Amino acid sequence: MIALLCFLLNLITPISQAQETKPLAPGYTALPFEPAKPGTYALPIITKAANGEVITTNNQPKHLHDLMGDKLVLLSFIYAACSDVNGCPLATQVLHKISRQLQKQPELADKLRLLTLSFNPTQDTPEMMRHYGEGFKTGDFDWQFLTTKDEASLQPILDGYQQNVQKVYDDKGQFTGTFSHLLRVYLIDKDKNVRNIYSVDFLHADTLINDVKTLLADAKPQVAPSTVPADVLFQPGDNKQNYQQVDYQTRSLALAQRQGQPAKLIDFALKPPLGLPKLPVSKDNPLTPAKIELGRKLFFDRRLSLNNTFSCAICHIPEQGFSNNEMTTAVGIEGRSVRRNSPSLYNVGYAQLLFHDGRENSLEQQAWGPLLAHNEMGNPSIGYVVDKLKASADYRGLFEKSFNKGPTMETIGQALASYQRTLNSADSPFDRWYFGKQKAAISEAARRGFALFTGKAACSTCHSIGEKTALFTDQKRHNTGVGYAESMQKSPEKQRVQVAPGVFVVVNSEHLKGVNTEKPGDLGYYEISQNPADRWAYKTPSLRNVALSAPYMHNGSLPTLAEVVKFYNQGGAANENLSPLLKPLGLSDRESDDLVAFLEALSGGNVGALVSDAFVAPVGDSGVTARPMSDPGKGR
Amino acid sequence: MTFKLSTFTTALLLGTASLSASADETCASPYMAKITGQEDFVYIWTLGAEGVGDEQDKLVTVDVNPKSKQYGKVIGSLSVGGRNEAHHSDFTDDRKFLWAGGLDTNKIFIFDVATDPAKPKLSKTITDFVAKSGGVVGPHSLYALPGRMIITGLSNNKDHGGRTAIVEYSNAGDYIATYWLPTDSNLEGAIKSGKYADGYNYDVRVLPRKNLMLTSSFTGWSNYMMDFGKMLADPEAMKRFGNTVVQWDLHSRQPKKVFDVPGAPLEIRCAWAEDHNYCFTSTALTSKIWLIHQDDKGEWQAKDVADIGEPAKIPLPVDISISSDDKTLWVNTFMDGMTRRFDISDPFHPKQVFEQKIGAQVNMVSSSWDGKRLYYTSSLLANWDKKGADNEQFFKAYSWDGSKLTEQFSIDFTKEKLGRAHQMRFGAYSLYGGSPK
Repeated sequence: MIALLCFLLNLITPISQAQETKPLAPGYTALPFEPAKPGTYALPIITKAANGEVITTNNQPKHLHDLMGDKLVLLSFIYAACSDVNGCPLATQVLHKISRQLQKQPELADKLRLLTLSFNPTQDTPEMMRHYGEGFKTGDFDWQFLTTKDEASLQPILDGYQQNVQKVYDDKGQFTGTFSHLLRVYLIDKDKNVRNIYSVDFLHADTLINDVKTLLADAKPQVAPSTVPADVLFQPGDNKQNYQQVDYQTRSLALAQRQGQPAKLIDFALKPPLGLPKLPVSKDNPLTPAKIELGRKLFFDRRLSLNNTFSCAICHIPEQGFSNNEMTTAVGIEGRSVRRNSPSLYNVGYAQLLFHDGRENSLEQQAWGPLLAHNEMGNPSIGYVVDKLKASADYRGLFEKSFNKGPTMETIGQALASYQRTLNSADSPFDRWYFGKQKAAISEAARRGFALFTGKAACSTCHSIGEKTALFTDQKRHNTGVGYAESMQKSPEKQRVQVAPGVFVVVNSEHLKGVNTEKPGDLGYYEISQNPADRWAYKTPSLRNVALSAPYMHNGSLPTLAEVVKFYNQGGAANENLSPLLKPLGLSDRESDDLVAFLEALSGGNVGALVSDAFVAPVGDSGVTARPMSDPGKGR
Repeated sequence: MTFKLSTFTTALLLGTASLSASADETCASPYMAKITGQEDFVYIWTLGAEGVGDEQDKLVTVDVNPKSKQYGKVIGSLSVGGRNEAHHSDFTDDRKFLWAGGLDTNKIFIFDVATDPAKPKLSKTITDFVAKSGGVVGPHSLYALPGRMIITGLSNNKDHGGRTAIVEYSNAGDYIATYWLPTDSNLEGAIKSGKYADGYNYDVRVLPRKNLMLTSSFTGWSNYMMDFGKMLADPEAMKRFGNTVVQWDLHSRQPKKVFDVPGAPLEIRCAWAEDHNYCFTSTALTSKIWLIHQDDKGEWQAKDVADIGEPAKIPLPVDISISSDDKTLWVNTFMDGMTRRFDISDPFHPKQVFEQKIGAQVNMVSSSWDGKRLYYTSSLLANWDKKGADNEQFFKAYSWDGSKLTEQFSIDFTKEKLGRAHQMRFGAYSLYGGSPK
């Protein structure tokens, strides 16, 4: 071989002695690690292998694709004069090693072709390439040495393989005969797809042969995921219970396992589960399977926001009680702070007051609040949302099918309301015990808790229970003092911050001043009524599924049900508008525990079905291709 | 353009960098072409800020060659539309394209920096990263492998939490594959070596000679987009940080082992020398330097080796930068705006030997090949940056003489109506065999 420098690299680096100390590439030595066994890993398709016109050593013009398709192909780009030890010679040396090793495995050898293509057509004539190849060819191994007619026919090939090659010129602008190039070898399958690309550090006969065997085995590597029990699957996947403890352990679920089954949602509206009354139906918007299906699609569509990042489900996460367990108050588009906690949407179809302050009165209208809020979904106008849906191919015909007209302010609200009206959940252990008369349906503690709930603690004064059904709300607003306390409390001098499982630091608030934002006020229903008597009044939420929607209160300030019971046991937070219904309860610790046990018995029997259904809902994202929707008649 | 290697200050180390006894722009992919001499430009991936200039993200080009007439000046600003939570950026292995990610909108902007290194051009925008990847949100590190890019996700489109994946794209900008981080219900074949397998992700680095790929873990969209003060006061939010580093088989892209590294380990920096089989990371919340190293038996292990500042004050270590000789680790702490030099000659016992305040807040630090020039920027995340007067937004160039850090020039990104200065990447004519036009 002609000993010309492939790279001037080491002469021009500041450390000129690098040439002597330059270690040999791994391809020359034994592989310094144990590679993954063939067939145990995947080699996904990187790109289509480009075509182009080449010339064989017999002076035969061919298309590169003529040399692919019948066998796997290893393609390397070199130029004959290249002498950088870790450049072209490495590529050729590794291919040579492969050809020698595969001679002992003829069943493999027959399935692989080596192609060495020059990127220097001026010097590397077919004759030159034949001469170059003679030094390396092993027996009758299928190794072809190729060149091109000229630089014009070479260039599209270089472009196709994104093979960066530059001629190196000297000070006087004369071509030095050397090229600077990025060494790459391509593994190409029989469908002419590139399946791996190797550079200096990965160009080794052992890993290459393993990759060849992996492609030939064509087996998808299977790591059997452990099966997830349904009760765990439909819970929050990133379980942080006991995170305050030093011995915290993760119990995280793989997102790929977040899969479910469609439910016949309309049944939950037409025949509400045990313990719920008949669902109030909007005369203007009777429920249909098509509307529910469309509403569900809208509910999970992140494109329903200015920058395609926010759906309703981002704050009302199905496995987090259709609320958000992972923050006290919500965060909207661009991370903008929202003042209040994401409320659960279970049984929202029964709610006469919507939003924490109860300022809205129908789900159809309510939907536009978050859609247009600057700090929630951030849509700039109603027309923007309507036009976006009209332009989305995957919505084509869906509104027309449901409403006999396209997307409008009215129909968008109606579709979203329709889906939400099916999120009815009851038939809880409590319902089966109280309404279903199944004696063993709830624990002793829960029964004692019920007695307190309706007796000594008087919770049911506001969280009402009827004779045949229970919504656990009086559909009214009250001042419990939670809002007052937040508005009036002085900033603490110290702040306790958790920095790792079981690890807390207490920081001077002064130290964190720079990153703190002035908190916006929150005066509850007063903001709507402008009546000072309504300061810090918020609506009574239903307690159904309350165990699923921590943290609690309109501002998420209470992390657990135990804390909530403690708050009410103290009689709320004193202020001049405090509801007269709140007074210290004098509950013992055991009584408090019993109340919590009762509240935990309010989780509906169909929670799994609703969450499971939500898991199969299509999540709309930018660039998502239109997926045909299932026939709404089926499974809805 | 005539190709001319007329300068002795810059060299191409195409494909051979990890084999070189020399170092590089110290934190880049070993697969990538490196600038070994004087860089001509720093490209600054800048977040648009409401009320500042055109309010949108942009790639800002600053001339940093002292021989240039425009030294120290902004010579280009390319607005891309929207506030995408511009964060990290990096080059393809051939260094022809700079990929820049948006953690909020999940867009990836691909700039051609080869045609004219002084004037990057937007050549492609990937807008369907989430849909293509199967729900991965928050493209963070964009790391060159041969012919493709490894992209770490930070979150997902189901709950905006921290469970996520790494995603592979071809240099042409086509989706290749998604690899989910190991979780308890599916460890993907990895060993859970401690108590945690949270499935969180942040940075990625590789040691090719060891077939090693490492990922660290931060937090999901809900937290990285949340107002910082609000988050610190929210005990639920503070539970949602990563506590793991994962060791992967680089060749097969399979996770092998999950290490407990509590307190949000962020940037990973691997040593360069052939026999230095270790990488560093630093934990943002617990303020520690961790060493991921190979033990006598060839097993990879994780060990906390030093405190950064006073952990009880939450100094919030952010970017770190390893020197080409593996002797220095620069560590920036966001809250006090300090840059800290650690002597890591003994990787098991890093010692802080120097510190200097850079500004009211500081995030990124980038070092030249020879370690003589250091560049700093201010922005961490749009909603984590300080408020009011402390919200200094800058790009600052310093020289380092071994004992003294001297400011060369500074650009006020608010005054210049640019926005929040985040990640820096270097450009040079010589990479492409060219010279100034």
